[in-house]
Amino acid sequence: MDKPIALVVEDEYDISLIFARALQAAGYDTEIVRSGDTALTWLRAATPNLVILDLQLPRVPGTKILHYIRTEPRLAETSVIVATAYSNMAAGLQDRADWILIKPVNFGQLRDLAKRFSPNAPGDAD
Amino acid sequence: MNWINQLINVPTIDPDDARRRKLLNIIVLGMFALDVLGIFGIIVVDIIDASPPENITSLYISAITVLAGIVITYLINRYWISWVAGVLFVTLFIIAVSQSDTPAELVQGRAMITFVPAVIIASVVLRPYAAFIVAIVVNVLLLIIGLNAQLEPDPFAVPIFLGIALATWLATRTMERAIGDLRLLNLELEDRVRDRTRELAESLSKTEAILDSTADGIIVFDNTGKATVANPAVSGLLVHRAEEIVGSDFEALMSNAVSTEDKGLISGFLHSQEAPEASVKFQWGKKTLSASAAPVHLESGEEIGTVAVFRDFTREAEIDRMKSTFVSIASHELRTPLNAIMGYTEMLNEGVYGPLTEQQRGAMGRLLANSSHMLGLVNNLLDRARIEAGTIKLNIGDFAPSKLIDGVKGVMDMMAHNKGLELTTNVANDVPSTLQGDWQRLHQILINFANNAIKFTQEGSVNIRIYMHDADHWALAVADTGIGIPEDAQQYIFEPFRQVDDSATREYGGAGLGLSIVKQLVTMMGGWIELESEEGKGSTFIVILPLIPPETEEFTLGETDLAVSDVVHQTETE
Repeated sequence: MDKPIALVVEDEYDISLIFARALQAAGYDTEIVRSGDTALTWLRAATPNLVILDLQLPRVPGTKILHYIRTEPRLAETSVIVATAYSNMAAGLQDRADWILIKPVNFGQLRDLAKRFSPNAPGDAD
Repeated sequence: MNWINQLINVPTIDPDDARRRKLLNIIVLGMFALDVLGIFGIIVVDIIDASPPENITSLYISAITVLAGIVITYLINRYWISWVAGVLFVTLFIIAVSQSDTPAELVQGRAMITFVPAVIIASVVLRPYAAFIVAIVVNVLLLIIGLNAQLEPDPFAVPIFLGIALATWLATRTMERAIGDLRLLNLELEDRVRDRTRELAESLSKTEAILDSTADGIIVFDNTGKATVANPAVSGLLVHRAEEIVGSDFEALMSNAVSTEDKGLISGFLHSQEAPEASVKFQWGKKTLSASAAPVHLESGEEIGTVAVFRDFTREAEIDRMKSTFVSIASHELRTPLNAIMGYTEMLNEGVYGPLTEQQRGAMGRLLANSSHMLGLVNNLLDRARIEAGTIKLNIGDFAPSKLIDGVKGVMDMMAHNKGLELTTNVANDVPSTLQGDWQRLHQILINFANNAIKFTQEGSVNIRIYMHDADHWALAVADTGIGIPEDAQQYIFEPFRQVDDSATREYGGAGLGLSIVKQLVTMMGGWIELESEEGKGSTFIVILPLIPPETEEFTLGETDLAVSDVVHQTETE
């Protein structure tokens, strides 16, 4: 079985590594991008199963990327977990993100959460 | 009627003399009127009556003589010596009276009645003791008349007359004494009033001097809320001049400069009956003011109003705000590396980097416990800062980019000059004349950059400029010809407590917290920071911001989701 693909969109170096490791531990092949424009470029070329999206990104805000994912038909099946430190920004996105995590994000919990979203997971996600 | 007063009053210095002259004038004028009436009467009789009495001519003569006497007396009284007039009058009076009756009638009894007025008048118009003189003169006169007419003198005339004279003298003397006493009392009172007024004026001018020189604004309100006193300093604080405030309704004045909630706060504060809180703070126009109020009590305990003192709190408020911005952002920044530490520790613990020995697992446990503890401390710090100062709010408003730069130049000019550096500023032509943003915080950010630029530059120049980054964004750049930042360090400098290297810290000072705060603020504004730097050549820090700032809801820095972050990780420890 092919491993599912996950994209980490996060500009802070250490946090991006932790996210990636958590998703790897959940069985995903993981890519890291560290800015909004790079994320868009990547998303135009590939179709991930899961995206962890930070909202505070330079040059292109995370909301714009979320919008792109939700309006691009090719990415209809992609799950999005929004990770942010700013809870009031997140509040408005509940209908568009599959899950919202408030930073700081615990490694183990992200891994377990990502497993539930995985297409290889035994049960259903959400 | 004024002309009567003018006729009667004689302006002399001595008030007693004036009184006497006035009294004499009144009597004289009265007589004058009677005499004139008498003359008219005689004329009428003369005309009407077919056979007038024989002595009508003598009546005419005596009436006119009396008139002349009255006029002369008046003139002497008015323009010359009063006692001469008085004596003349009394003499004429006595003569007239003595002619009015027959010697027999006079001596036998009428004298009592007809001469008494002379005694009284003399006593009042001349001196109290004049009563005696006149009494004696009258007695002598009666004696002469009696002897002339070979009549028996009335034995009672002398004692009775002297008795009347005595009574008159006593009365007049008492009256004059009383008047004299009153006069003295009056003078004394006037002196006292003068002294008190002077004291009052002195203390008032002292109080006024105090009010005038106080830098704080002072307004006194009466019980109805009307302002009754305002010192000059209020105009600097409340914009309205002191004259405008006094007498006006304070509620009306507040409406322009004060927000609705603040208005309620102020009203309640000013009109509160119980002991007031120490002070309230509110926004009045562009300034932040702090006000304290206290009731004003009379000695009797009655409350007659409230005195309110206003102080310009803008500087303190700004410092307060900077402090809480600093603490909030610093706490937030501290959590980021802490979370990374905990994340890696977690991963090591979970075996992501390979299996662990028992001992290693134990060490992991300690690491996690301690970093968790530290995270808790930082969260507390953040919570406390948030409680103290509310959330960080951006104050978006219009401002002129040229003013922003000039403000910074004004502050940093001296510093650059002292180091022998050139400080230049520039606003590109295509930048709009007004921009939207939090002017105060942009100012702080620029100061931060300029400060660093000057700090890390030994020779050359620092340039600050504003230009258009693209159609939707404008940019703020601070460029220096300083020591520059090595490439591998460039990603770290926006983290707190990090400077390029420790030697730089020692040489150039500073805790390096400034840049991480700048980064946070810029993020809140919807923008980002770019850095161009080459070691040995110099650095350029660029802040890029959207022309239209993001919607400013209140920005709560990182709600502590304690359930997630404070989980004490279960470890298989010994």
